[in-house]
Amino acid sequence: MRNAGGVLIGVGDTGTVEVDTFTCSHCQYVTKVPPRCDPADLGGHCKSCDKLVCNKCVNIMARGGNCTPWEKQMIAMENREAARRSYGI
Amino acid sequence: MAKYAAKFSQATLTTTFKTAGHVRTPAASMRRIKLYDVLFGAGGTPADNVLEFNLKRTTANGTDSAVTPVALDPADAAAVSTVGSNATVESASITANSDLLDFNLNQRATYRWIAAPGSELVIPNVLNSGIVVLVLSPAYTGAAGGAMLFEEQ
Repeated sequence: MRNAGGVLIGVGDTGTVEVDTFTCSHCQYVTKVPPRCDPADLGGHCKSCDKLVCNKCVNIMARGGNCTPWEKQMIAMENREAARRSYGI
Repeated sequence: MAKYAAKFSQATLTTTFKTAGHVRTPAASMRRIKLYDVLFGAGGTPADNVLEFNLKRTTANGTDSAVTPVALDPADAAAVSTVGSNATVESASITANSDLLDFNLNQRATYRWIAAPGSELVIPNVLNSGIVVLVLSPAYTGAAGGAMLFEEQ
């Protein structure tokens, strides 16, 4: 998988292991990308937000779910919080 | 956008998840928190045991020991985020199905996860919203912990 981005580094008795990771654009789950794995096993590419998504979010979208990037979810949460505070709740 | 480091630990591991670290928004002056680097490891006498670490989202605080985050740039102001370690009472609101990072490691090993720029784990600017670092071990009962680096936005 190209441009996975993140990395998980393990250091132990047998040496150092490095595994690429990518963060799901929708739920932020960090997926590990083992060398030479089938990209289809790891998740997919959301054509709406043009970012990598995890297996769980691929399945949600396959069942008709919408593209809801984490940034959009956070804005909704923060707006709700601002409304609550404005009402003094 | 200042960056901070904070250590965390859990003194006694059990076969169920216990919170080792918890970074969360404060009650006031809230801002988004971006977790971009986390280190994990175990203390105790080296042995071959498996430890499972799991990062999840949470919306409430448990009971833990406060940790003061250290600014990576000494010129930056103190962090407004709250960091807790070695929880004795778990957060009652660890969000189900909110796994962010989950992996097993040998007790002798040390793991470090580094996010790609733009792919950090982001905590929204919402009261008590945070991320917990949970840890369990089927056999090991000593201490485990690590450190987290995060950015306040």
